Amino acid sequence: MHYESPVRNPLILGDKSYSDITNDIAKPVESKAPRSWWIAFSIAFVMFLWGVGCILYTIGTGIGVWGLNKTIDWAWDITNFVWWVGIGHAGTLISAVLLLFRQKWRMAINRSAEAMTIFSVIQAGLFPLIHMGRIWMAYWVMPIPNQYGTLWVNFNSPLLWDVFAISTYLTVSTVFWYVGLIPDFAMIRDRAINPIQKHIYKLLSFGWGGKAKHWQRFEEVSLVLAGLATPLVLSVHTIVSMDFATSVIPGWHTTIFPPYFVAGAIFSGFAMVQTLLLIVRKIFKMEDYINIEHIEMMNIVIMVTGSIVGVAYITELFIAWYSGVEYEQYAFLNRATGPYWWAYWAMMSCNVFSPQFMWSKKLRTNLVFTFIISIVVNIGMWFERFVIIVTSLHRDYLPSSWSMFSPTFVDIGIFVGTIGFFFVLFLLYARTFPVIAQAELKTILKSSGENFKKHHDEHGAH
Amino acid sequence: MAKKSLQQKSVVWSVVSVTTNRSTAMTENNKYWRGIEDQSNPELSEKLAQNEFSNEISQADFLGNDELAESSTSRRDFLKFMGFSTAAATLAACEAPIVESIPYVVKPDSLTPGIANYYASSFYDGYDFASVLVKTREGRPIKIEPNKDAGYNGATNARVQASVLSLYDGARMHHPMVDGAATSWGEAVAKAQSLLTANSVVLTRTVISPALKTAIAKLGLRHVSVDAVSQSNRADVYEVLTGVRALPTIELAKARLVFAVGADFLGDWGGENLNGAYAAARKPGSDMLRHIQAESGLSLSGANADVRIKAKVSEYESVLAHVYNKVASAAGVATVSAPALREDIKLSVENVANELIAAGSGALVMNGLNSASAEKLAAKTNELLASAALNTSKLDFTATGSDSDFAALLEDIKSGAVTSVMTFDTNVLHFSTAMASLADKVSLISIADRLDETASKAVVALPMSHYLEAWSDAIPVSGVYTVGQPTISPLFDSKSAVEILNTLAGGSESAIDLIKASASAQQSSKGWNALLHDGFAEVSAEAVSSGMIDMTGVAVSAPLKGLEFYTYTKAGMGAGNNANNPWTYELPDPVTRLSWDNYIVMSAADAVAFGVEVKAQSNGSMNGTTINITVDGTTLENVPVWIQPGQTQGSIGLAVGYGRTEAGKVGNNVGVNANALLAPAVNYAEAAVAASEVEHGFASVQLAHTMMGRKIVNEINLPTFLSGNAKEWNEKPTFESYKGPLTSFEANLWDDQDHETSHMWNMSIDLNSCTGCGACVVACSLENNVPVVGKDEVRRHRDMHWLRIDRYYSSDMTKEVAEEEGVGAIEKYAKMEVPSESPSVVFQPVMCQHCNHAPCETVCPVGATVHSREGLNHMAYNRCIGTRYCANNCPYKVRRFNWFNYQVNDKFTDVNPSQDDYGRMVLNPDVTVRARGVIEKCSLCIQRIQMGKLEAKKDGRQLTDGEFTTACAQACGSGAIVFGDVNNPKSEVSHLKQEDRAYHLLEEVGTQPSIFYQTKVRNRA
Repeated sequence: MHYESPVRNPLILGDKSYSDITNDIAKPVESKAPRSWWIAFSIAFVMFLWGVGCILYTIGTGIGVWGLNKTIDWAWDITNFVWWVGIGHAGTLISAVLLLFRQKWRMAINRSAEAMTIFSVIQAGLFPLIHMGRIWMAYWVMPIPNQYGTLWVNFNSPLLWDVFAISTYLTVSTVFWYVGLIPDFAMIRDRAINPIQKHIYKLLSFGWGGKAKHWQRFEEVSLVLAGLATPLVLSVHTIVSMDFATSVIPGWHTTIFPPYFVAGAIFSGFAMVQTLLLIVRKIFKMEDYINIEHIEMMNIVIMVTGSIVGVAYITELFIAWYSGVEYEQYAFLNRATGPYWWAYWAMMSCNVFSPQFMWSKKLRTNLVFTFIISIVVNIGMWFERFVIIVTSLHRDYLPSSWSMFSPTFVDIGIFVGTIGFFFVLFLLYARTFPVIAQAELKTILKSSGENFKKHHDEHGAH
Repeated sequence: MAKKSLQQKSVVWSVVSVTTNRSTAMTENNKYWRGIEDQSNPELSEKLAQNEFSNEISQADFLGNDELAESSTSRRDFLKFMGFSTAAATLAACEAPIVESIPYVVKPDSLTPGIANYYASSFYDGYDFASVLVKTREGRPIKIEPNKDAGYNGATNARVQASVLSLYDGARMHHPMVDGAATSWGEAVAKAQSLLTANSVVLTRTVISPALKTAIAKLGLRHVSVDAVSQSNRADVYEVLTGVRALPTIELAKARLVFAVGADFLGDWGGENLNGAYAAARKPGSDMLRHIQAESGLSLSGANADVRIKAKVSEYESVLAHVYNKVASAAGVATVSAPALREDIKLSVENVANELIAAGSGALVMNGLNSASAEKLAAKTNELLASAALNTSKLDFTATGSDSDFAALLEDIKSGAVTSVMTFDTNVLHFSTAMASLADKVSLISIADRLDETASKAVVALPMSHYLEAWSDAIPVSGVYTVGQPTISPLFDSKSAVEILNTLAGGSESAIDLIKASASAQQSSKGWNALLHDGFAEVSAEAVSSGMIDMTGVAVSAPLKGLEFYTYTKAGMGAGNNANNPWTYELPDPVTRLSWDNYIVMSAADAVAFGVEVKAQSNGSMNGTTINITVDGTTLENVPVWIQPGQTQGSIGLAVGYGRTEAGKVGNNVGVNANALLAPAVNYAEAAVAASEVEHGFASVQLAHTMMGRKIVNEINLPTFLSGNAKEWNEKPTFESYKGPLTSFEANLWDDQDHETSHMWNMSIDLNSCTGCGACVVACSLENNVPVVGKDEVRRHRDMHWLRIDRYYSSDMTKEVAEEEGVGAIEKYAKMEVPSESPSVVFQPVMCQHCNHAPCETVCPVGATVHSREGLNHMAYNRCIGTRYCANNCPYKVRRFNWFNYQVNDKFTDVNPSQDDYGRMVLNPDVTVRARGVIEKCSLCIQRIQMGKLEAKKDGRQLTDGEFTTACAQACGSGAIVFGDVNNPKSEVSHLKQEDRAYHLLEEVGTQPSIFYQTKVRNRA
């Protein structure tokens, strides 16, 4: 058994055996849904339906039902798109990058983080579709051979890169997530009493037998997929940032965007993971698996990435001044002091100032505080995208075209709808999927479990 | 087996060839049997082949239907019915001409589907006069073009451009009406004639048509003419001077200095279109015309002036008097007594007088006040200066209504001396509250295009054809005779005005005969056909006596101490004749940049005093306070107020022509009727203002009003232009590189297209010539089927104009001031947003710049917007999926998105002409009507380019410069827009590109536009 230094805190608390882990993790799937789940699901479902209604209204009537105008042609749509894509990033980072770096604390959170990734990428993917004036022609963004001869997509366009980036990302994330789920589905299959349930999990687990060969293949595929997914963590948000960086609009045309966007994405993604897991561990009583150690680790990531984002904000301001470009200077001055100053300062305080509290160990191990900060960070990150998109567009080169943006009920409805949709998916997932990768977790029970650590302490290494 | 069948086949072949008369070639085709029967029984198959029907049907079987035999309808009855129906159908067909549109069976020689025909015509509606060319396609007039060869006003302003849509206005009267019910012409005319007695009065707008004058004279009734925008007192002065009731014409080419007092001559004050002459006279150079304007509200003319003096309307007379006195004392002529001027304008006015004296015969004073004293002061000043620009022998007849005649008529109606009034083309009950209050005392007969406020009150309302359906003629100015010809059959049961009046007078001639007779009476050198072809002819001018202005009776009224209220005309609405025309409303006012409304214009200082505010909403729209205004006991409630930089303190103005209730679905209840407070004859009155609780939403297309210290409109003063180095005053942005400083054209990372071998379309826009009038905007909308989106959408900054005219005010805060005073960046930019209280104003038409390094083209994921070798940025609507990325990435923000299905969506039913069966007829068939969800933008009138190229190709020749041009360039009366091929070294645009004044908008972005601008030069130190 792998030895772990006693300096490291245990990752699994309580006197857990392998069967305890199995029982604990299979419990939400096997037991009846608690009342709180039904309440949450109903609320999310209503929000989701409201969003569906707003989307149908948009498609039926025209983009004019949103608050956009001749100057500001993107606002909440692309803000929400980038926000959701960003949230998705933490999942891939946790499961892929941390796997490659052998960060074992990821094992308790990677399943939910990946689920979050997929569900948020689904939300994100909605926006580029519904923001199109003619969604029924959406397939034209695919390089499909056609009857028009040489008509082809424009490979120069970052929007096209987006299409490839997002679809690749969604595919790889889904496969990666699913592969990880197979042994756990098999575990539920083996325990299932209800024949229908048993049959479904039988299909889902692809005939997993737990043989050594299966495990070996599982490990190999996980490693390969982790290797594939790792560049995606960087590429997807880099490409999303190029939607702005390759343009000529002051405030968009910035070379710092790719790293700044990636850091921001991880930042918001971890905050969202915090939000979700703090709820999940409470409701499903998984405090032993998702414990303060995990929370703290994630808070540190939030603090670091938040600071990176902060440095990026300051750098932008500096470069705007240093560049000597009048339009650029005004764009940033206007961000901070113009009509949308409140959005800018909301962004600054949520993203740059609030994570600094995490320097304090007391605060970063406080669950309530963590929960609040995780929400604040996601509000801040939403504002970041709003600031980048709307405040850059609303006052660009020619003052004659300057304008303002105000969302309509449809803008708000669609955003609320995607939050509802996200939680509908997540709540369904929490009831039917093992929310912790138990098979993986069991591999570290003997090294990072509390009782085993204690055993080591009491009896020495051998 | 194979061998056998071959033999047999040859047998069959011989049978067929013998038994039929088919040609050998055909029989040779019959090489195979069609079935086994062919082989076994060739005779039968042959028989079958020859019979059309395989089985004979016996007639008895076919007709032997028992039920039919029992029917009471005999064959004889059937023939009777059929005969009757045929006769009835024939008779029905005789009753009316066929109005349905059907394809040509025999195509008229002059008409080729797909090819436009142009007809010369003339436009006059009592306010604007223009010599025009009417573009028709398949018999539909779809566009008005200026007739640049014409003798007078061969230019079209925004109102004339828009007038074609009024033809297709479903709100026009469809039938003659008697007592509010539709009837026939015979009955209506009989009823009208029964109402006309010897003491009836014909009340018209100014009549300049000899044929109409003849018809009115034939009626033998008293004729009173009154104008909605009155120049009556000015005309009185010249009536005394010249013996002819008219206004003098102005030859700006002969002027070096113009001092206009309240005269918005660029807004077509006085009927003469001076834009072209003004632009020509202001070509930068040592002899550039200098323009000083004294006025209350910021007019188009004031916006273009080199120096602007803020004077209240009630001060105009004193300003003119002070200038006159100075000139008079210099000339040793008696002065007039005038009240003292305000301290803050005293010096400026004095300087003007000195300048005028110095300019001598090159000076010209213009007066816009409807006041005999003011006009005499101006005229006498011109006389003393021997002004060459004022022509009192060539007279303008387009505004000769008489306020005193009208006042006398009102008295006679009041006294009962007049009991019936026939109005002709004047909505007098709308602009005259005095007349409206007396409407019950007379029986009205109204000749009008619609049941407007006047015609709806009339006993008999007779529908007058639109000018594009009617015959007309006119003498707009001494020595010029024009005719207007119909370009389409009347859409409704209407008749030409001249025919209606002639019929009422007992005549029976048709309109064309009346005009022919009138034309031959004019004894022009041109024959009828030539006259129709050209649209005008020179005729002998009316004899004019000359004399000196008599200064007796000149009384200079004292300026109002309190708040004064005046009325003015807006570029889009004019006198209000296009009141149901959506383009008139959608066109933003050049100065305020507001569409769809009229509003009080008020200075910022007054606004503070009255607690008035205009604030931007969170979505960029503007909301403002409304006020109740009381003038002479009449109160207009909830009138919106716009805070206007450049407005004189203590003076508030309101545009006329709005507040209609019977104009039609577009114009009803838009704005308020300014004439309810002030009759057209009155210049100003003291007003009392009270706050109102109601908030008003403006449809503002521009939120920021200053250039924020950026070089957007490059503007210099004349001395700089004359002495300075173009590299200094028109500095090109450069970029440091290892090769040294490079311009944005040299610092290039692109694989450029070949722009050398073929055409390269460029456009020059001279900011010095552009007066901001808006004709190009309407022309563009017409040419390119730009949808009208209505007030609410304009408020949301979703106007669809492909071409807009940006207007910027100067600000008191500049970069220089900030540096001098040490103002920080935040404060500097905040203050730069605030326009100066006495701003310089610049106009800049902006359309798609057709960037050769276009930011929009690179970002479209589906390649819907691409570049041509000819320098055009194309937009493929069919390929567009509507991501709007291109619009975001456009530095000029010229791309427009189809937010809704404007052709179907209920929100636009009332405003968008393309939702109306009539309005649809105005659509240009050469230009696609865009679907929902796609981006659209200026194409540089690609349809015209392609047409021109094809014509040249068909003729096998090179294109010549100026053979065709864009709609905006064609409509531009001042010649500010020049379009052409820069690869043609002889083209005007290629010369303009070499000008020192030429620059590209936002050149530093590196977009390399095909559109370039010419620096604006102000004639001031």
